[in-house]
Amino acid sequence: MKHSMMPERREGPVDPMPKSPSPEEGSGPRRPDTGSPDKDILMKRMRKVDPKQAERYRQRTGE
Amino acid sequence: MRLFGIETEYGITRDDVPEIDPVVESMELVRAYLEASFERRWDYAGEDPHEDARGFRVPGLQQDKEEDEFAKVDAHRPFSFYEMKSDLVLPNGARFYNDHTHPEYSTPECRTLRDLLAQDRVGERIVLCAAQRRNRALGGDHVRLYKNNTDFHGHSYGCHDNYLVSRAVPFPALVAGLVPFLVSRQLIAGAGKVGTEAQESRYVPGQYQLSQRADFMEAELGVDTMHDRPILNTRDEPHADRKKYRRLHLIIGDANMCEYATALKVGTTRLVLDLIERGAMPNIELDQPVAAVKQLSRDPDLKAEVRLKNGRRLSALELQEYYCEAAGRELAGSDEESDWLLREWGETLRLLAQDRSQLVGKLDWVTKQWLLETFMQEERIGWDDPWLASLDLEYHNVDPEQGLYLGLEAEGKVWRMTTDEAIDEAFQNGPSDTRAGLRGLCVQKFSDQIKSMQWERIQFAGGLGTPNLDMGDLFNPREVRRCMDIFQHAHSPADALATWSRRKDMET
Repeated sequence: MKHSMMPERREGPVDPMPKSPSPEEGSGPRRPDTGSPDKDILMKRMRKVDPKQAERYRQRTGE
Repeated sequence: MRLFGIETEYGITRDDVPEIDPVVESMELVRAYLEASFERRWDYAGEDPHEDARGFRVPGLQQDKEEDEFAKVDAHRPFSFYEMKSDLVLPNGARFYNDHTHPEYSTPECRTLRDLLAQDRVGERIVLCAAQRRNRALGGDHVRLYKNNTDFHGHSYGCHDNYLVSRAVPFPALVAGLVPFLVSRQLIAGAGKVGTEAQESRYVPGQYQLSQRADFMEAELGVDTMHDRPILNTRDEPHADRKKYRRLHLIIGDANMCEYATALKVGTTRLVLDLIERGAMPNIELDQPVAAVKQLSRDPDLKAEVRLKNGRRLSALELQEYYCEAAGRELAGSDEESDWLLREWGETLRLLAQDRSQLVGKLDWVTKQWLLETFMQEERIGWDDPWLASLDLEYHNVDPEQGLYLGLEAEGKVWRMTTDEAIDEAFQNGPSDTRAGLRGLCVQKFSDQIKSMQWERIQFAGGLGTPNLDMGDLFNPREVRRCMDIFQHAHSPADALATWSRRKDMET
């Protein structure tokens, strides 16, 4: 990958991290809705996980 | 502002063969990311894990014997040590390679949390991309990658956070200031784990913990990283001018999925290092720090208290509050990032005490606990159900179609601290205010003229006397930008090095 243009440089002070909005402000992620998990895509994804998957998962010791 | 970076070893598995060779699979995964043939470039000079920051050199590591056994096996493989490592330096200045049995992504060195978060997410994209290419070659969705730290069978692999520290700070001061902080840091940086285990020992289901690594911490200090893992690693490999700098190499941390947790993990550690350098750290000494790591990890209700040397007892929250308050007194107003950290650190500790549900999507252990408890209620199962360990594992799957954390992210239920656009940019270029940006630029522009490279040096091809680009002391952002500007406009590395050398001579 070659690039003839450098990215725009930050010459001024670095921006602070974005302020965490409160859930009430509506500008950030909502607090998870724990209602109706049977309709929740994620619950369906969780049910698809093989209960024996961790039993089969073997790694070598790393650092 | 100091440099920092994160090294992540990823768990790797393949489901179409009865038994996998992790050395080969990790090598093939890294190779799958290449679009051209592999060329050996990484320079291993300067990598010596036997140097100890306490002022001596250890004759051997506990893993050396094991490594020797592996080396005997590796000698019979149809590839060399360097081919097995398959070390790549990427256009963003990062390193991606096979750390023997795990693919590892080391972020470029960063000076801001904003850059670090984006670069850490780039690593997830890179291993995912490599897995997708590898799966295409295998003809099915067989290879999976996990950004976690345990296999639930007594084997752990690391996520190491690294910090550039002035050599002027005595090492004992680092130990005194950091150990109680690191023991309690899991409160904000733990990735959460179902069950308990220990090195090479049986997994016991049932107990929910804050941290994935706590079970594997066995010493307060030490140079080892694979056995008798220490709370504070003493490896002295600065990857910089040894007379001026140390590289603090922390191996106690978990691999975080939540961006917010990554920001707090690295950011609060950076603040504590600033406190230590100013001689303003709280005077706290734990009686039994190794036991305290496990005790606090196994107490998700946050009620446990650990004993100090002076006989007092403090909870993890109280330990963190001590540090947070000391940092607030000493560092408020230093810079915008520090002020953001102080505000969020204090707020996080308050919410841990008063309303933990507001930290779902911010802290991994809280998010995972909420997810698992929701599932347990639905399925009417308990903490000892083996299904939960599998769900724990899937939380860390880097495939957006399968991973539980990434599923939450897709539903907008986690707190993003970076943006997809920032990750795209970080994928293309390293930070423009650290030597990593310069390293990445050289890869982009002069790739075919690089003979070898490592963190602090680039050796360009050419006749005898071709100078190196030495970056062992190149940490001033303005200097980095000036050097990058020269390389950006040069026709060749030799021209750039000559101009850079003249510029430095004029200034001395």
